[in-house]
Amino acid sequence: MQIRRALSLVGVLAAVAIMAGCSRAGKPVLHVFNWSDYIKEDLVKVFEEKYGCRVVMDFYDSNETMYAKVKAGGGGYDVIFPSSYMVSIMHGEGMLMPIDRSKVPNLKYIDPDYTRFTMDPGSDHSVPYMISNSGIGYLKSRVPEVKSSWGMFDDASLAGRMTLMNDMRETIGAALKFLGYSLNTTNDFELAEARDVVIRWKKNIAKFESEQYRNGLASAEFLLCHGYNGDVMQVMEENDDVGYVIPEEGTSLASDDMVIPKDARNPDLAHAFINFLHEPEVAAENTAYIFYLCPNTASYKLLDAEVLEDPTVVLPEALLAKCEVIRDLGELNEKYTKVWDEIKAAQ
Amino acid sequence: MTTGSKAGRRVEWMLTLPSLLWLVVLFVIPTVLVLAISFRPPTPSGGVGDGWTLQTVLALRNPSYPVIVWRTLRLSAETALICLFFGLPVAYLMARSSDRAKRVLLLLVIVPFWTSFLIRIFAWKVLLHPEGVMKQAFAWAGLVAPDASLMYNEGAVLLVLVYTYLPFAILPLYAAAERFDFGLVDAAMDLGCHKFRALLNVFIPGISRGLATALVVVFVPALGSYVIPDIVGGPGGEMLGNKIAQRVFVDRNLPHASALSSLLTVAVVVPMLAGLALRRHRVRPGGVK
Repeated sequence: MQIRRALSLVGVLAAVAIMAGCSRAGKPVLHVFNWSDYIKEDLVKVFEEKYGCRVVMDFYDSNETMYAKVKAGGGGYDVIFPSSYMVSIMHGEGMLMPIDRSKVPNLKYIDPDYTRFTMDPGSDHSVPYMISNSGIGYLKSRVPEVKSSWGMFDDASLAGRMTLMNDMRETIGAALKFLGYSLNTTNDFELAEARDVVIRWKKNIAKFESEQYRNGLASAEFLLCHGYNGDVMQVMEENDDVGYVIPEEGTSLASDDMVIPKDARNPDLAHAFINFLHEPEVAAENTAYIFYLCPNTASYKLLDAEVLEDPTVVLPEALLAKCEVIRDLGELNEKYTKVWDEIKAAQ
Repeated sequence: MTTGSKAGRRVEWMLTLPSLLWLVVLFVIPTVLVLAISFRPPTPSGGVGDGWTLQTVLALRNPSYPVIVWRTLRLSAETALICLFFGLPVAYLMARSSDRAKRVLLLLVIVPFWTSFLIRIFAWKVLLHPEGVMKQAFAWAGLVAPDASLMYNEGAVLLVLVYTYLPFAILPLYAAAERFDFGLVDAAMDLGCHKFRALLNVFIPGISRGLATALVVVFVPALGSYVIPDIVGGPGGEMLGNKIAQRVFVDRNLPHASALSSLLTVAVVVPMLAGLALRRHRVRPGGVK
């Protein structure tokens, strides 16, 4: 009986797989796995019409959840948007398909200034999608004397109404930058100093939060939050009172890239989608909507001055020099894990 | 109880088989797998390596764990006791009500389950919001500082834990109270016992099974709480569930996460087996229950 049940389960799964392969209307389907609020939905509709296909989108909230799902064989995705460090992990595991450059002619627009933030500057198995930075979102009316410094988290007058990201590399990285160190350091003394800074900050924060700070800022639950530029600016669209500063000590920059997993069912359509998102008009429209910078040189000319001159979207030269991308440290990640455990356990 | 005939035994087996299969497939096998993974080495890319190692289990001596384990046990025990404290009078009241009232009360206990657990937790976030009505009222009454937050502390975690698990305590208590013969309480009072003492000495021992069930049904799931401390807890309110999530999602160390959840499983199963063994031991000498 068990065997029969197992067989029928296999049958159901096979049927699901077949149905997933071709849509109801017989149109090809592109399965996309992306961060939430990370693409202008209208552009997806344009793509669907242009290529006579259907795009199915799933969302994830961290590189690790995405990795766990894809590694376990789940999803059957054609295009995924991991951050650079995760791209190198997935590439190391042999999970990615090489990018066929002939199918992505728009690669010529990729801004060479930003490829140093990716782990794959030659676009061998990934194509940069958006550049983001982390900084400080705050309510202008409640924090009128904001300084562009990580030192804001030492301000006891905001105690209980601030958040730091629940992300060990971002938060320990902020403290390292505050102290003038590299956020990829593996020096034990620098890490110990950074740990003590975060433990000091911890007394002033409401919680470690990497997701809900957006709602928290919008509803004035939190007055000052460590977060990503585009996320905070999307809140700004709803609430004029929200502001964003990048600490002058420097911060983390991240490049989120587009990759095609090895087992993609529709690699041609996946290449077309990546190429489409780098059409200069599309890239410009996307950047203007989600407030992250698509590193596409031809799109800059099409951006409004408002976006282009916003120092939090396009960083000034001097600040850019102080920013770093978070690199995967392999076995040395343990040093950060240990420091993070000590921070979480500290009273 | 007389020992059943062979045929009776077979029927017994047949009846137990479906739930036994369910338990083996969905509980025993996964638990054993989790236990096995905790003896495997982690790979830097977040996978599970080959070979066997004791490294991970030894890493459980991490000096930050006793604090978290103690906090988890304490919060769960507090939750269970508070739930019993509030659940008992409710169960008593329900059992003594008319049939109609019983149905209404039972419905009221169950109605919250019609809304998603997550949405109910987010509702607490709205209620406790620092710019919200409740907070404004407390601040106006001078109970809290105007810039304080009611959320993101241990009290908030306990409050929402109690809120979430209270129905799980009420239902088994009610089931036990429903079966209880209230004539016994009347008899005790006829014999000159004060009502409160009659309840304490007759009613409560009479529903001890229900009390034990309620305690376990609240305490055990509370031990595994993850979402509640994550959403309403503060920077210092981590429970074991949050640590396990961090090991999986942030550190990408599955063996370590497995070792932690095995620890949790052992912490729950061993006392329960011990309790069971004790009970059997107590029953056996007399032969008859």
